[in-house]
Amino acid sequence: MTLVTDAVRALVGVWSEAEPACDPVEQGAVRRFAQAIMDDDSAYAPGAGGGTRHGGPIAPPLFPNHMLRRPLGTADVVQQRANDPDFDGVVPAAGLPPLPGLQHLPVLNGGSEFEFFRHARHGEQVEFRQRYAQVHEKISDKGTLIVVVIEGEIRSRDGGLLLRSRRTLLRRAA
Amino acid sequence: MSQTPLFDDVRAGMVLAPLHKGPLTTMHLMRWSAAMENWHRIHYDRSFAVEHDRLPDLLVNGSLKQQFIVQLLKDWAGPDGWVWKVSVQFRAMNLVGETLRIWARVRDTREAQAFGLVGLELGILNAHGQESTPGSAVVALPYRGGPPVPYPFVATEDVLLSGLHLQGGTRA
Repeated sequence: MTLVTDAVRALVGVWSEAEPACDPVEQGAVRRFAQAIMDDDSAYAPGAGGGTRHGGPIAPPLFPNHMLRRPLGTADVVQQRANDPDFDGVVPAAGLPPLPGLQHLPVLNGGSEFEFFRHARHGEQVEFRQRYAQVHEKISDKGTLIVVVIEGEIRSRDGGLLLRSRRTLLRRAA
Repeated sequence: MSQTPLFDDVRAGMVLAPLHKGPLTTMHLMRWSAAMENWHRIHYDRSFAVEHDRLPDLLVNGSLKQQFIVQLLKDWAGPDGWVWKVSVQFRAMNLVGETLRIWARVRDTREAQAFGLVGLELGILNAHGQESTPGSAVVALPYRGGPPVPYPFVATEDVLLSGLHLQGGTRA
């Protein structure tokens, strides 16, 4: 019996509404991000970029891709499932509805594609649109995989396109 | 950030200076998980990774590895170039404790009207020379004596028709 049910297929291709990131591009968050990826580019520092075409300090290229986070006042899945030994810690991405019957399956990152247009600047507000582009089963030597492809667009609140993404998630069904 | 190479000086087969990261410890993985607020336990909870998800050890995040690839390309493109497209496939696991070598090589080049386009193949090797993250990219570079690549980047019709595309795409 397939796990890619009609309820799952109904969600494929449907773009989410534009959803703002709960925080702007914060200089402290940029610093922690840059230090975590070990890229001390001076363009990320406060005060940088005044005379450059960036128009001020910027975030690392993929920083906006990680800005869709849980706002205050929303359900805390980590706490809700704190005593669940099977909870893998993956909190469903905001903006997209969970795929019925698939959310409990172990997940691995299969790959990504990005198309970049400009950097996010410190203090800038960004918003996201996403959709499930594909969901299908694949038989591999490790068993059945559910391949989930998510496409996204990230724009500044003034409408300028920052980047497009296409992520492939692999959920192990058996 | 380095100076931008000129398109005129780039040839197929040219190898970019590699980037080395690691050894990547649990602290590195925890720091990255915290920075991006991703609490997937396979990156910091060894018993969950091994006993529950049947993995060999804690995994280096794919999302962290793709940062390293973009850093290599961004630093090569410099202030007047632009990393337009990047594609990576996470084909093999990298485990905690590994040291990674991020590499890229020019595959081919195309001339567009206002700047040149460089297609690259790339990846991540561990200390044993095993490839985990093959991919490709397209980087725009200025011509000698020409203006910087426009910023924000706009993929004009001649760029889209250049015939230079990502190779392989993500696994699906």
